[in-house]
Amino acid sequence: MKHLSINIVVALMLLWLLPQTGKAQQYTGISGLVHVPSGEMNHEGDAFIGVHFLNKAMTPDTGFIYYGDGEKYHTFDYYVSLTPFSWLEMSYVCTERIYRKDAQGNVVNWSKDRYASIKIRPLKEGKYHPAVTIGGNDVLTAGYLPGHTDVQLYFCNFYAAATKHFTFGGNELGVTLCYRHYLRDYNAKWNGIVGGVTFRPAFFPQSRIIAEYTGNEFIMGLDMLLWQHLRLQGSVKDFKHFYGGLCLQFNLLGKKYDY
Amino acid sequence: MVLFLALSLCASPPQAKAQTTKQSVDFFMGLDLNFKDIHFETQYDFLIRLTPGFKWDMGNHWQVSGQALVPIINQYGIEYSFFQISALNVSKEFNIKSLYLKATAGAFSHNRYGLDLKAFLPLCDWFAFEAQAGYVGFVFVSPYWEIVEPNRFVGTLGGDIYLSQWNTQFRGVIGKYLYDDLGCEVEAMRHFNHTTVSVYGTWSNKFGLDAGFRVVIMLPPYHRKHRAVNFRLASNWRMSYSMMVRDYTNKMYRTDPEQNERDGWFSRDLLLWGSHTMKPDFIIIDKTKKNETP
Repeated sequence: MKHLSINIVVALMLLWLLPQTGKAQQYTGISGLVHVPSGEMNHEGDAFIGVHFLNKAMTPDTGFIYYGDGEKYHTFDYYVSLTPFSWLEMSYVCTERIYRKDAQGNVVNWSKDRYASIKIRPLKEGKYHPAVTIGGNDVLTAGYLPGHTDVQLYFCNFYAAATKHFTFGGNELGVTLCYRHYLRDYNAKWNGIVGGVTFRPAFFPQSRIIAEYTGNEFIMGLDMLLWQHLRLQGSVKDFKHFYGGLCLQFNLLGKKYDY
Repeated sequence: MVLFLALSLCASPPQAKAQTTKQSVDFFMGLDLNFKDIHFETQYDFLIRLTPGFKWDMGNHWQVSGQALVPIINQYGIEYSFFQISALNVSKEFNIKSLYLKATAGAFSHNRYGLDLKAFLPLCDWFAFEAQAGYVGFVFVSPYWEIVEPNRFVGTLGGDIYLSQWNTQFRGVIGKYLYDDLGCEVEAMRHFNHTTVSVYGTWSNKFGLDAGFRVVIMLPPYHRKHRAVNFRLASNWRMSYSMMVRDYTNKMYRTDPEQNERDGWFSRDLLLWGSHTMKPDFIIIDKTKKNETP
């Protein structure tokens, strides 16, 4: 109960802080909802460098456990991402892993799970049809899977997503539907049809409120962009577990966007 | 010396003569940031060095340049803890019709010295051949001198494709590299305003496959006054990320202290090809004429 109230307070604080808000951000640096990919793309030239807190409730059930006792731990990742063209996003992500603690509880062995993500938009959103994207995480390592069961593919998945936006009274409602497949069985709970909705209010178009279903849990989230360069995202899983991060955002073509 | 006497007799292109006969000296400094993730006991091992250097532009694309590496944080090992010379050489750029050449003699990066020749042959606006050849030895400056006579030929041969509509460049070369490995590399570059980001892949017969990305950021100020003597930041900050942490794969020395993938090998006023056709990163403020020139 204490965790629940703390997380709700954190979420409300993030909501209250909204001076300027932004588009979207996943823990991979790729545009999307929170845990669910979307058909949206960042702007051409957008570059992100960021860090994201990963609640142990949202990490894979293998690979992010203490050596010995098997207990999961909270961790974080950091990433760089780039949208070189309006139809292509790429990112490189390092997720912190803890191998071992000493008798005093101090971490003595670290490592990182590193992977590359890519997202391509073959179909741009039109008046009557949604934007369609295809992509994946850990796409480079995925090729090693046949015959290499020891290869770490903790976040490896592929997806196809479609997003359509509807505008009414200056507000914007986005609806996302996605089919996703994780390569590892321990992530199978996130396989299949997933999706969510986003709401961008007219009085504050830089903001975005997110509700999504990951295939296993519901997540509520919020995006914000401060001073056109600092992007924040906070979310709670099942109103219990906080999940969020921040990143610096620049447009390398020198263009300015509100979100 | 014979090589440079011969080069001095070559006719300089009209652009070069028009560009500058006025001499100037630039003193600059940047930061060399290196980090590795190869130990379980540490997050990263860092090597951070200051890179003070100078360039003496003698006119007509003759240049003397030098640069030192001064370690300020070193977790890489004792061999990196010393002051090092990463460039001290003289170079000349010129062209013979559409063949652009740059010859350099002296000390280069990666503790190498010797002779180097670079060639660039644009066939059209979007395609060009490139080649580099060097004959180098090893030199280690401090705290003790170690020098090995030139005994190794290195070189690369390849081509560049530049798509001006998207400011995108593809580069592919094969070569014999600094650590005696044979290999090839491909790179796709996207040039933005003042920044270039690329992804690359390499193969080496000794070290196998590698891939990564590079970032080249041209450092401000972008509007500059140019005097006979100038003090400034290094023109760019460059980072190259190797997924396999291969220090000895497909490596070539750099002859210019500020050499980078965005600018290429040749001066902008000599070779207008590729990213040089974009808006220039640095605008020289000419107070006497009350206008700005690239």
